[in-house]
Amino acid sequence: MALNDITLGQYYPADSVVHRLDPRVKIVLLIVLIVAIFVAGNLLAYAPVIAFLALVTYLSKVPVKMMVKGIKPLRFILILTFVLNLFFLQGETPLLNLGFAVITKEALITAVHYSLRLVLLVMISSLLTLTTPPIVLTDGLERLLSPLRVIHFPAHEMAMMMSIALRFIPTLLEEADKIMKAQTARGADFESGNLIARAKAMVPLLVPLFVSAFRRAGDLAMAMEARCYHGGEGRTRLRVLKCERRDYIACAAVAALLALVILCGKVY
Amino acid sequence: MQVTLEHVTHTYQPGSPFQATAIRNVNLTIRSGEFLALIGHTGCGKSTLAQHINGLLKPTEGRVLLDGQDIHQKGFNKKEVRQKVGLVFQYPEHQLFEETVAKDVGFGPKNLGLPEGEIAQRVQEALDKVGLSLPGLAEKSPFELSGGQMRRVAMAGVLAMRPEILVLDEPAAGLDPQSREDMLQLISSLHRQGTTVVMISHSMDDVARFASRAVVMEHGTVVMEGAPEEIFRHPEELERMGLDVPSVCKLGMRLRAMGIECPQDIFREEQAELALLSLWKGGAGHGAE
Amino acid sequence: MAEPIILADHVSFSYEEGGPLAVQDVSLAVEKGSFQAILGQNGSGKSTLAKLINGLYVPTEGHVTVCGMDTQSEENTWEIRRRAGMVFQNPDNQLVATVVREDVAFGLENIGVPTEEMPGRIEKALRDVGMLPFADRAPHLLSGGQKQRVAIAGVLAMQPEAIIFDESTAMLDPQGRREVLSAVKRLNREQGITVLWITHFMEEAAECDRAHVMHQGRIVLSGTPREIFSDVKKIKPYHLDAPPMARLSQALRQQGMPIRQGVMTVEEMAEEVARLCR
Repeated sequence: MALNDITLGQYYPADSVVHRLDPRVKIVLLIVLIVAIFVAGNLLAYAPVIAFLALVTYLSKVPVKMMVKGIKPLRFILILTFVLNLFFLQGETPLLNLGFAVITKEALITAVHYSLRLVLLVMISSLLTLTTPPIVLTDGLERLLSPLRVIHFPAHEMAMMMSIALRFIPTLLEEADKIMKAQTARGADFESGNLIARAKAMVPLLVPLFVSAFRRAGDLAMAMEARCYHGGEGRTRLRVLKCERRDYIACAAVAALLALVILCGKVY
Repeated sequence: MQVTLEHVTHTYQPGSPFQATAIRNVNLTIRSGEFLALIGHTGCGKSTLAQHINGLLKPTEGRVLLDGQDIHQKGFNKKEVRQKVGLVFQYPEHQLFEETVAKDVGFGPKNLGLPEGEIAQRVQEALDKVGLSLPGLAEKSPFELSGGQMRRVAMAGVLAMRPEILVLDEPAAGLDPQSREDMLQLISSLHRQGTTVVMISHSMDDVARFASRAVVMEHGTVVMEGAPEEIFRHPEELERMGLDVPSVCKLGMRLRAMGIECPQDIFREEQAELALLSLWKGGAGHGAE
Repeated sequence: MAEPIILADHVSFSYEEGGPLAVQDVSLAVEKGSFQAILGQNGSGKSTLAKLINGLYVPTEGHVTVCGMDTQSEENTWEIRRRAGMVFQNPDNQLVATVVREDVAFGLENIGVPTEEMPGRIEKALRDVGMLPFADRAPHLLSGGQKQRVAIAGVLAMQPEAIIFDESTAMLDPQGRREVLSAVKRLNREQGITVLWITHFMEEAAECDRAHVMHQGRIVLSGTPREIFSDVKKIKPYHLDAPPMARLSQALRQQGMPIRQGVMTVEEMAEEVARLCR
């Protein structure tokens, strides 16, 4: 019950232009944006990216708080990136002499550059997951990868596996919670002891969980077969993806952004 | 030994958007030696309540007392509560994990830190109690057993802790009639041997047959409490809550509606048999006059 | 008599070659539009029989025909499964999608129903089982009875002629059981969908047209529910439980009270008592 209401991924339900974009377009544009962030040669080139991100966030109706939350788990890596670059990079223009290390202007710029790059990457990627339900995302991924079927890439199978995983994660979490409680009731201790003791303590949780997952898999396979599932061949879809005007506009906007970023890098 | 719940409220994920209060201001004493039935619609909070009895869940408000001592007080030995109050979850066979039946049943005693000899003795005793003392069975993998047997192994795993109170969450769920009856007889015999039993059940016929006291819950609160005859005196109320009523209660209601004088507190089949026989003999007597 | 939709002709089945027979020499005819029940304790072979009918298993001996198609020949498999759908025991383990509507679509997608046709069929199926208001919910947040009704809708959308229910109420609470059973009865009555109801709950079989008791892989009793369940002695050897009123009337008869044979429900019992005691 406690884990019953867990929401998957971090989808933020809202009705916005960004939410309505074709998932295929969103995935491709995300890749283009990542490229743009990587080709940005200097800090100035980030300005249009940041402006674009702000605009899309505004359009998506996703609260800024949610966006910032995505960075939180990365704060240590972020600090590490910043500090390492700041202290260990050699440069020509000293700004501050701390005795044990000299901070140079070049090091400061690089530190800001790399940290900013990381923050932007995370924020732009989370914008995709925040505005696209996981199942739609899977769908988009399947359609994008389906041309690869000619080289026997199992696009449909992969998408089906992902969507089944999405369906069963809450169920298995709930089950894990229950098994954990049942073993605790028999005196099991999941919380104390050293690392090895704790790892060993997981056995009474993991074995039943695996047994159950296998049983569920068997049941599900049978139920799917009974419902005439026989792979991706000859399958029709309830949801048909169709590119509309807003998708073309989004593509054009991102293309313009990429051009601008490259230009900024050259000019400076 | 006695467990008392004092003004217990439990809220899941407080402060989050998923905040949900499962039980609200519950006061309940589990008396030593009784067979208490917990009744209610799915989601009424009875499983949450059950998990408070052995301290698995901590009340958001209120206290749980074991012989007058607050079990969530600092310094109180939680393991002692877990040992004294055995909790058998729904579908307990889903918690089995060891290579052999004996090892699985011995998991609890081992966690109590008992010596090998003592563990072996308790395993044997627990398997005897659940009727699984067949030679060789203890060395089998629990996953090779039938569904009914697996459930009994899981029960034995709790019994091996030698609990004084046994809390069971729908112990007969999903079993076929024969295994069901075996399971209920087993619980009844444990109760006769002195174990206090708290049983969550959806079957009013089972409650009528075995319970000495029943508690009815709705929306997280206790709405009725008393001996089965008192509870089943209000069949309309139970039906309003979406609960079943023992079939013989329904028969009594029906007969009274037809204007036949049938005693109020009939809820077991034997009682109905006697009442109907005396009704018939009385009625036949009138007819003869 | 109406034509049989499901026909089992001396069917035997074992899980491994030369292994023990899970189903032994079973013959069964389920007529179009009927509601039949198969009862038996765990391990009696009733679930195996269900899977033989749906073509999930193929008989070791004998033949199963669904709508005139033999399950032995592979080209019939998909058509058989579409025409005789199946709902399983565990409500969690048969829903595939994260949204109710998409789960109902799953079967339609599999059999290649055109996209334009899908929404209408999905909505009708969900409405028929009373789950339309939940179309956009996540299955894991539904109750057991609701999940099973979604599973039924998933089968129903494929427009089957028969549905086999393999202990579909075994894991539900009484309320869920009532929900599912009443939905199924309505489908049978109003849409003429043939139902094969597999269970170990006697009460659920009480209102079917015809019931079969399985024991150790064989059908040992067949008849109307009244013929089978009102006689406590007849079903006892098969470890099944008679309905309480049948048990009570049996006990009263032993005490000399002349209750007529065949009493099964509370209403019938009350009438008998009224007849005898007034």
